[in-house]
Amino acid sequence: MKKFFKHWLFTDKKLSPQQLLDIGYLVVSLPLIAVIKLPMIIYLLFFFILIFRDKKLSNIALVGVALFGLFMIILSLFGELNLAGLSRLKIFVEAILYLLILAVTLQRLTKNINFYQIISPILILAISLFFFDSIAMLLYVVFEIFILLWLILAFTMGAGFKESLNMAIRMYLLSLPWVIVLFIFFPRISFEHASYGFRGDGIFRAGHDGTMFTDDRAMRVLSKRVVMEVSFKDKQIPPSNRLYFRGSVLYQKRGNRWLPLPVYLKRAFSPSQIAPKDSYDYAKDKIEYNVVLYPTYKRWIYMLDLPIKAPIGGYIDADFSVTYKGGVRDKLSYNATSALNYRYGKVIRRVILGEALKANKNLAPKTYQKAKEIKKKFKNPKDRLKAIIEFFKSQKLVYSTSPKGLDKKRVTDSFLFKSKQGYCVHFADAFTLMSRFVGIPARIVTGYRGFSQNSIKNYLLIREMDAHAWVEVYIDKSWLRIDPSLLASSSIQDSSVQIVNNKKEPLIQTQNTNRATLYYLYIKYTIESWILNYSHYRQMTLLNRFKSDTKFALIFVLSLIGIVVLIILLYIYFTKTPCKDIGVCEISPLLKKLAKRGFVKGEQESISALLKRYASSLDDDSIIRQIDELYIRCRYDDDIKACKQLREKIKEIK
Amino acid sequence: MMKLPHIFRYRYRQIRQRATKFSLLVTLLLFGLFFEAYMHNFNLVYITLFFVFALAFSAGPFGMRNIKAIKLNFAGCGRLFAKKEGICKIKVQNSASYPVWDIEVFADISSDYLGKIEAHKIKVANIKVFPQKRGKFRLKECYAQSRFPLYTVRFQNYIQNECEAIVYPNPKGKSLDEYLNIRLDLIGEEGDFDGISSSDGKISASRIHWASVAKGEISQKIFEKSIKNQELLFDYDRLKGDKEDRLSQLTLWVLECERKELDFEIILGSNRFNSKEVGVEKILQTLALY
Repeated sequence: MKKFFKHWLFTDKKLSPQQLLDIGYLVVSLPLIAVIKLPMIIYLLFFFILIFRDKKLSNIALVGVALFGLFMIILSLFGELNLAGLSRLKIFVEAILYLLILAVTLQRLTKNINFYQIISPILILAISLFFFDSIAMLLYVVFEIFILLWLILAFTMGAGFKESLNMAIRMYLLSLPWVIVLFIFFPRISFEHASYGFRGDGIFRAGHDGTMFTDDRAMRVLSKRVVMEVSFKDKQIPPSNRLYFRGSVLYQKRGNRWLPLPVYLKRAFSPSQIAPKDSYDYAKDKIEYNVVLYPTYKRWIYMLDLPIKAPIGGYIDADFSVTYKGGVRDKLSYNATSALNYRYGKVIRRVILGEALKANKNLAPKTYQKAKEIKKKFKNPKDRLKAIIEFFKSQKLVYSTSPKGLDKKRVTDSFLFKSKQGYCVHFADAFTLMSRFVGIPARIVTGYRGFSQNSIKNYLLIREMDAHAWVEVYIDKSWLRIDPSLLASSSIQDSSVQIVNNKKEPLIQTQNTNRATLYYLYIKYTIESWILNYSHYRQMTLLNRFKSDTKFALIFVLSLIGIVVLIILLYIYFTKTPCKDIGVCEISPLLKKLAKRGFVKGEQESISALLKRYASSLDDDSIIRQIDELYIRCRYDDDIKACKQLREKIKEIK
Repeated sequence: MMKLPHIFRYRYRQIRQRATKFSLLVTLLLFGLFFEAYMHNFNLVYITLFFVFALAFSAGPFGMRNIKAIKLNFAGCGRLFAKKEGICKIKVQNSASYPVWDIEVFADISSDYLGKIEAHKIKVANIKVFPQKRGKFRLKECYAQSRFPLYTVRFQNYIQNECEAIVYPNPKGKSLDEYLNIRLDLIGEEGDFDGISSSDGKISASRIHWASVAKGEISQKIFEKSIKNQELLFDYDRLKGDKEDRLSQLTLWVLECERKELDFEIILGSNRFNSKEVGVEKILQTLALY
């Protein structure tokens, strides 16, 4: 590697225009390998074989290559490119890209450089931007632009690597302040962020699909994969007991499966972006936040309880579930508003309450018996609820992601009375059933629960393992959230369930993300939010803050000035002419010192003559004579040791 | 302070900027990226757009700094003849402490690519010219050009002094040898005796072959044809053809005499020019401007 750098980067080695162009093509084409289809990759391999043969092809051979390329293009787009396909931008751009690749490769085989071949790397770069939208690509684009600039300069200057690299760095540095200023202040409009193209991250997250199992098919996700990244507009993150991100709401139990209400049932209000004011009694402590939700391929998007304002394209339904038109097929960034302090449920249809009371005692006979006792003992629904809670606590249930001894036929009974091990779905299932058995309408809510441990500043990370299920009971004409998982243990800390019964199995929810990983994700999220997803909204937020917050404005301006100063300093550093004559460079500090003392070197005067002139003015000229000797050895004998000694001797002269 | 704009104008007066086809490409690229970015709120494209813009923008100062370091000086031309290709020289000096790049000198219809010029160094550009007429010749559009750094702008630094030269008449006509064969008698002093021939008696006394006169015949002496230490005399008025033909003929003879190291005299109207006295160059200039 060192040899490579020494041989290429720091020498005056020149590359031919064709070689420069080839480097340009390689750099801009590299990311596209992840996009282009296999037939085109085969065509490119074929092309490289022809290039390495290094023989000029006849016209007939070129026609053959062109036909082969066209065939591969057709094969790549087969089934996709039709009249309907052309309307899909990605397919259209892909077709253009393939044709461009074909044209470029054919021209390259002729070994003649023409204007179109020169501009093609830039066109390929512009086209590649259609396919990617990630931090990796952002960094690569910045690198790509630098390399292309370097290649253009190497061509224009006809210079070697060293000189053209130096010039490229200087030009690049000068352009940076403009890029920063333009990026921040260039007016944006609120068009939707592009959702086409290759994301570079094809893995989608397991979103809840509107059902919940209590048997082996139960939702038990141990993955640390990020589902959501949330940033709160206010710097403060709400406490953990408020971080319930609501998903689907389930009413009906069929065997070991919970389902939502059928769509034909008429609801209290139609889904809308903003929850109707009469749908809640009050909604206080409203909080605004931004969510980046990774693709789930499901229609639910997650908002904190209680969702008040959904993003554009999102709908809040009568259960306060929020769905997104078309489903979350790509990474989705949305702003939302929720109320942390609320009361709702006043407006509800009787039929819905009826559904929330339905429970088959045959599915859980023991639970039913216990509920019957409670129902008999307590008349007031609140007291009955308290009794259920007490019962759960008294059962010393163990929260475990690997419950043992659960009877698949009687999951609820075996969880509550036999195995006493389970996780959120079992707790929610048992609590809902028991509530219904005692006559309290209840339903299950699935979603995610956030933990303040997984946060930095206003950034909160939600992983797949944070998937959760809880219960809502209808008391005093309002829905009340109860998280039965919290009843699992007597050792409840900071609203989080901890290790149960001193067993060594930690609860999955409390497994904190490694701080380093969290910081990495936070930085990634910040870059994505402020660079990749920078929008009209963010621009306005920034400008408004700039206008209203003097401290922020000051920091902002100072930061910009700091960046510009840093860039100027770097520019000056790279403008310095590299030392070509080591002897002269070593002695130049002494010449400056002598000039200050009135001994300026004459135009025709040699350095040795100047030193002698200066020495004659001194009583003790031994050090100057030594310097003169060392200077001659350093400059003319290439004696590195002498150069070092010269440097030291010069330092001795005050 | 009021003088600043004036100084600035003066400094940059000689520097012009011209677009290239790559400027058009950059413009199209900026438009394309702008629409791609704006329609889809795509920040990756915005960043590329801003980089392209910023680099194209910063290319201006870099290119200007590069070209303004150049000083052009006309270094004269070799002998120029009408309707014949010639070479003019332009001295290109890099007056800066940094190297300048991609320098090409243009004048008339030709150019000479010099590439890089190191700090405080001079290179000479050889410009091919093809003057059509004799007389004074001025190099049109003489400037140094650089497309550094990005090929998007042609920075041109125009020469400040006049690029003038004199074009001599197109040398053509009968060669000197041919001419000497015909007009041997016009050659000055004669040398070695070569033989005799009969004569009608209308010859000068010095040419009479007296020995043959004694025998009752009048013969004339014939001498060797080329005699170097004699002067040639070319008279404009005694030549055939129009003015340009005569001047071309004289130019041809002048050049031949110069090559053969013969001294000569030219009579142009009332003026008489001796090559020994005024020199060939002066005579050629006189012919060029006659």
